[in-house]
Amino acid sequence: MKQRYQVFILGLLLVFAGGSAFAQRTVSGTVSDTQGTPMPGVNVIVKGTSSGTTTDAMGQYSVELGNGTVLVFSFIGYLTQEVEVGARSTVDVTLTEDIQQLSEVVVTALGVEREVKALNYSVTEVSGEDFVQARENNLANQLSGRVAGVNVSKASSGPAGSSRVVIRGNKSLAGGNPLYVIDGIPMDNSGFGQAGLWGGRDEGDGLTSLNPDDIESITVLKGASAAALYGGRGGYGVINITTKKGSARRGLGIEFNSNYVFETVNDLRELQTKYGAGNYVGGVATAPTTLQQAFDWGSSHWGPRLDGSSVLQFDGVARPYSYAGDNWDRFYETGHAWTNSIALSGGGENQTFRFSVSDLRSSTVLPNTGFDRTNVTMSTHAKFAEKLTLDAKVMYSHEDAHNRPVLSDSPGNAVQSMWVIPNNVDVNVYRGDPNKLGAIPEGTSAELLEIYGQNGDPRFPGQELLPAANNWGQNPYWAAYQFINDDIRDRIITSGALRYEITDWLWASGRIGLDWYTRRDKSLTPEGTGYQLGGALSEGEDRVKEINMEWMLGFDKEFGNISVNAFVGGNRMRRSWERISADGTGFNVQFFPAINNSVTRNYGYGFNESGINSLFGSAEIGYKGILFLTATARQDWFSVLNPEYNSQFYPSVGAAFVFSDAFTSLPSWLSFGKIRASWARVATANLSPYNSNLTYSLNGAPHLGRSMATFSQAGGNNGTIPNPTLTPALSDEVEFGFDLRFLNNRIGLDFTYYSQRTFDDILGVTISRSSGFGATNVNLGEMTNEGVEILLTGTPVQGPLTWDISLNAAKNTNEVVFLADNLEEVVGEEPRTRNVFIKHIVGYPYGMITGRVQQRDPNGNLIYDEDGRPVASANYVPIGNGIADWTGGINNSFTWKGINLSFLIDFKIGGDIFSGTNNRLIQAGLHQKSLQGREGEAPLHITGVVNTGTSESPQYTPVDRDLTPQEARDYWDSVGGEATAISEMFIYDASFTKLRQVVLGYSLPSKILSRTPFQKVTVSFVARNLAIISKNIENVDPESTYSTAPGAQGLEYFAMPPTRSYGFNLNVGF
Amino acid sequence: MATAPLVSCDTEELHNLNIDPQAVGEIDMNYLFTAAELGAASAGSAGDNRYIDWRTNIGFAAYAIQQLATASGGISPGDKYTDNVESYNAPWEFIYGDQLKNLAEVLKQTGPGGFAEGTKKNTREASRILRAFLFHRLTDYYGNIPYSQALQGIEEIYTPEYDHQQTIYTDLLKELDEASAAISASNPDDGFAAADLIYEGDIAKWKKFGYSLMLRLAMRVSNVDPTLAETYVTKAIQGGVFTSNDDNAWVPMALEPSEWTNQNGISRAFAAGDGGQPTTLSKRLVDMLKGADASTAADDDPRLMIISGGVDEDTDPLVQEGMPNGLDQALLDDYLGIEGANQSEHFSRINVLLLDDDDPYMLMNYAEVELLQAEAIERSIGTVPGTAKDHFEAGVAAAIQMYTPFDASLEVDDAVAAAYAQSLGYTDGSGDALEMIGDQLWLSKFFNWWDAWADWRRTGFPILVPTDYPGNVTGGTIPRKLRLPSHEVAVNAENIAAGATLPDNPTTRVWWDGGN
Repeated sequence: MKQRYQVFILGLLLVFAGGSAFAQRTVSGTVSDTQGTPMPGVNVIVKGTSSGTTTDAMGQYSVELGNGTVLVFSFIGYLTQEVEVGARSTVDVTLTEDIQQLSEVVVTALGVEREVKALNYSVTEVSGEDFVQARENNLANQLSGRVAGVNVSKASSGPAGSSRVVIRGNKSLAGGNPLYVIDGIPMDNSGFGQAGLWGGRDEGDGLTSLNPDDIESITVLKGASAAALYGGRGGYGVINITTKKGSARRGLGIEFNSNYVFETVNDLRELQTKYGAGNYVGGVATAPTTLQQAFDWGSSHWGPRLDGSSVLQFDGVARPYSYAGDNWDRFYETGHAWTNSIALSGGGENQTFRFSVSDLRSSTVLPNTGFDRTNVTMSTHAKFAEKLTLDAKVMYSHEDAHNRPVLSDSPGNAVQSMWVIPNNVDVNVYRGDPNKLGAIPEGTSAELLEIYGQNGDPRFPGQELLPAANNWGQNPYWAAYQFINDDIRDRIITSGALRYEITDWLWASGRIGLDWYTRRDKSLTPEGTGYQLGGALSEGEDRVKEINMEWMLGFDKEFGNISVNAFVGGNRMRRSWERISADGTGFNVQFFPAINNSVTRNYGYGFNESGINSLFGSAEIGYKGILFLTATARQDWFSVLNPEYNSQFYPSVGAAFVFSDAFTSLPSWLSFGKIRASWARVATANLSPYNSNLTYSLNGAPHLGRSMATFSQAGGNNGTIPNPTLTPALSDEVEFGFDLRFLNNRIGLDFTYYSQRTFDDILGVTISRSSGFGATNVNLGEMTNEGVEILLTGTPVQGPLTWDISLNAAKNTNEVVFLADNLEEVVGEEPRTRNVFIKHIVGYPYGMITGRVQQRDPNGNLIYDEDGRPVASANYVPIGNGIADWTGGINNSFTWKGINLSFLIDFKIGGDIFSGTNNRLIQAGLHQKSLQGREGEAPLHITGVVNTGTSESPQYTPVDRDLTPQEARDYWDSVGGEATAISEMFIYDASFTKLRQVVLGYSLPSKILSRTPFQKVTVSFVARNLAIISKNIENVDPESTYSTAPGAQGLEYFAMPPTRSYGFNLNVGF
Repeated sequence: MATAPLVSCDTEELHNLNIDPQAVGEIDMNYLFTAAELGAASAGSAGDNRYIDWRTNIGFAAYAIQQLATASGGISPGDKYTDNVESYNAPWEFIYGDQLKNLAEVLKQTGPGGFAEGTKKNTREASRILRAFLFHRLTDYYGNIPYSQALQGIEEIYTPEYDHQQTIYTDLLKELDEASAAISASNPDDGFAAADLIYEGDIAKWKKFGYSLMLRLAMRVSNVDPTLAETYVTKAIQGGVFTSNDDNAWVPMALEPSEWTNQNGISRAFAAGDGGQPTTLSKRLVDMLKGADASTAADDDPRLMIISGGVDEDTDPLVQEGMPNGLDQALLDDYLGIEGANQSEHFSRINVLLLDDDDPYMLMNYAEVELLQAEAIERSIGTVPGTAKDHFEAGVAAAIQMYTPFDASLEVDDAVAAAYAQSLGYTDGSGDALEMIGDQLWLSKFFNWWDAWADWRRTGFPILVPTDYPGNVTGGTIPRKLRLPSHEVAVNAENIAAGATLPDNPTTRVWWDGGN
């Protein structure tokens, strides 16, 4: 941040410092920050005179004292210090950061820097320093709890997973992500898939490509006013990423950072460990007595109480029928992540550069799973003939995700298997063949192989060793070690910008940016897998390219008390995607997984492209630096809509009034006060290419030489009907706020209220499949979001020990106002338990969890059937909402000499979660609750009525009794079933408080460093996700979700266990 | 900002980006027709040919009508009358969402205002016949369903109203009448013969298929709408129904290029290597095939060792044994007196010759047509020539002799087939005539379980003893309807309340089964 102001400060000096100075006495010294790092560019002025200087690249200065006695040291972002020189000839000064004072300049839309006080909307900046010590592979996760109004959720999907960032509530039923912009150029953050009803993997998104070491800061443009200049792409907010630049300095600056963290499972399970594998026979819990039974009952936990007797297991060996210990400990590993980065920077007055290389190697708790990344970044800034500046940057990244975990449903899913291992089985038994983990070992008896074959041919060694008679009950070792799901992405994000100062008040700029990557993926279902003995292999490559070209013409001039800052410009965006793939099923040569060895082969090809043309302009008029009026406009033309409907105009207007500067009579404890108000309209064309017109395509495979075809967009049996008259969805937002600072900036309060309304939303409406289609897009939705954002900052202690505290909190209230005529709800995700649906219902907030509840008679009594099972409602009713009402965080930071301790606590309050895991654990007999009703345990008692009449003329007879063990088992199975479910039993309050991040650092003092080649050495203990301070759900993390897809919030199903990471960070500067 | 630069941003180049190079605005409707034919057999046109057979035809119907048996649950809900959402959903998803959708588009584009208007006349008429076949299949499953408003998503009918089954049947019979008459060798071929997987453009056979289907539909409503049945039985016979196994409606399958598209979905649904359904035959079926005296092979049905591949590879007819329905593993152990019994080792299993991945898939056979004529004569429905006995025996023989398309070795001599048919001793007007016809209809529909289930619901034959597994959802009765799909309940509740067959339970009878 510092370097950016050098030019500015030098300019100030030219204005204020004047030419000559008295030559009487020279004082010199070094200015450094609290960590002992020398500070270049610090303004040093002799108080009461016009003479002064700035510190050089080593933080050193030398100034003629003249008649003065006091030196004033100032630097933007730091508290100004006045020092009595006395007789000294050397004055060393340590400046402390003024964290109350928001950066005076922030990067706003289109990369334009603006004075904070002129802004009429809320904007939050997060420093890159917050990301480099305690790291996340996906940068978005770092925003969790840091920015009021930004709701971050990540799938429980391992080290290379995606994140869902929602700013100020869900604005569209179709979902939608913020726009990510790097140094003014949008980047692609497309996801490559999420797990769904039938399982699958979180295939990651675009943000994992970025190296946190390269990030200078992130600015979140939350509201419509802030983002209006991004037009159709800014409808969900904008996350502006500014990368680090080189700085003018003497010699070469070298910074080295090494970070090593461990990752361990944060085991939240509290399961029953008293009963083992088995089943009810004639109403009695029975342990297996034959091989067949041992195999058939391998995933049923309804056996008798563990008694240590010798009982057969699925592998034909009898072992003690007792608790086998913690299998998670045996299976899950300690993950490691090691990042090494080195950055070189330097340059002179006319040209600076920065070059960095970073390397991340990581493995996670799930065996054989990891994520590696290499980043190389080069950026340069050059100035020619005073008037022309060039900024150019190339960011290359190589990402290697190894075995992304399968989530949700069972195929290839090791995590799910680990959840449901019987208490009396040691998971090591599942290892099977030591040379091919999870496979049936050589020497397995013919009898067992026959049993393993279930009703088909006997299995043979080398195939999957299934622990139970369920082809989808994956052996976790087989899933972890024999399955392959790798992808490698090579990516270049590059941009170049030229700016020409035509006069001192008129400038022109041109910018071009490219985000281009290939993503190579490979996925193997190994030969011998229970549910697909033949195996299958898929190889493919995606190529994605986005090019933005932009020009701008700007005007910046003052006319007396009036300042005018305006620009116009245009942008042309083009995006293309192409995929080529080859799939094979079955293999000719056994256990040789190669496309050229597959029995049946298919190829696939996909292509689409889209574009947006835009014109935009902005004008800000300031009066005396006190009142600012800003208006912006943008017009977009979208290729994905038909020409008659493809265009949209987005205006915004707003005002900011710095009343603390306007009135002199204000009390002195008020250091700063500003109010702001704005209104803006944005629009989105949230539609894939080629979805506005009905077309036909050929089916992939012909049949017996005959071509087949169907609708392109609606192939298969669940397509979407194209709508040729779709227009962009519109969103209006009004925002008010104030920014107050008290007691010399030691306390700050920033408050924002916003009210937003989306209308003409493009809805992917689920429709009756008897229409021939599964969904359609219509321009009908209306939804509102209303909320407040509060940022409270303070410095309770200041001095040698400084304590800074920052609290942010945001509340959002969402309502689905209108869908379509005669359409009261839109259906979203259905999880694997198939007993709830996410629905967006008129009059309710977005994303209601709906499910079955127990029926009641007219008197309100619960209805049971004659076997004691609750009778479920036929219809799904709202039972929860997966989106939190309140989100926020508290960050504390303590600084004392070279020691810095900071920790971040974040929270979400008021959301719900449907726990598919607890649903299944109860059915499986592993959940504590499932103990109820077993022989020798607390009885399962029901009180209600039974319908002893008919369904047409019911007659309700009271029932008040304990269930038999068999009935209890059926009860637990029934409540978690599909048509029989009592879904509300598995809804929990998802509120939580977490200790998200801890950093404890120590910087070596400059006195020691001055004798070394180092300028800066900082060692830190770092940790992420250390503890869950509060939660209201058993066994799972309330943040768990198997998908970051829109409309899937609040669903959890056999998540990967949450993890803690902790380790060390070493930062060295030369 | 001036207007001129604004307009110039809305460029032709931008518009052209939205033209999909992989798609076309108009296409040969024969391609959609072929897709619908393949889909009607195995849903391969939707890229998952085994889903519907696995879940519903086998998992629900084959067990419920006791031709197969299994000790497991899950997606075999028919054995023990449990609930399975996928079994309920699958026909709705695939028949509406793929097959009928494609046919509706063929009819739309070859009809008034369509881009293929006036062309492809035979493709159009064949589409109407196939459409009737698929719609009756759907309504037989669910009762009242969206019909007149269905398949019009493009016309913005997103939540269609339900039509009463009687309305649907009445219209389907009218459709069959018109289409069977209108399909004609004098129409220009327009690519129909090359596109037609079933008859390769043989118009005479299409007419027979149309009238045979008319006979089936007419008989299906005969208990509740005798007038409608009477009218169309007579029309069907006058129009000309199937006269030999050569007329059977088969859809040929292939191994390549995609197992999900080209292969036989039933075979794939049974593939043990892919975790498929067990192939264990039910005790009810094997007992019937073994005849009255289990101790001799002399009275065995010639189909016994066509349908059964043996018990643990033992192909001696005398050792053939079926598994009772309604058993779980524990009950099976009890039944056999063996701990940890493997059902596949102890009971007859489907002959693997019937389960090749490229075996053809039968939509409708000649045997049914003869047996329905016998029944019509017995019940004096419409004008049907001949004697019930002749039709009955022709039907039984045809059913025995129809397996050669699976494998040439499954040929049965005319004399053997005829002798067996005669040995059953059918007598016109006898008290057990209808039961004998019902039993034979049931036997003639191995693999065609969804329709066998409909026959059983209508005729009550063969007499099946329901199972009563703990926790079943039918109160120990054989299901008579599929529940509506979960997603349909989620999105179309109002129309369901107004017009569906209610209550939406497996025990509710559809209209032709005596329901409302």
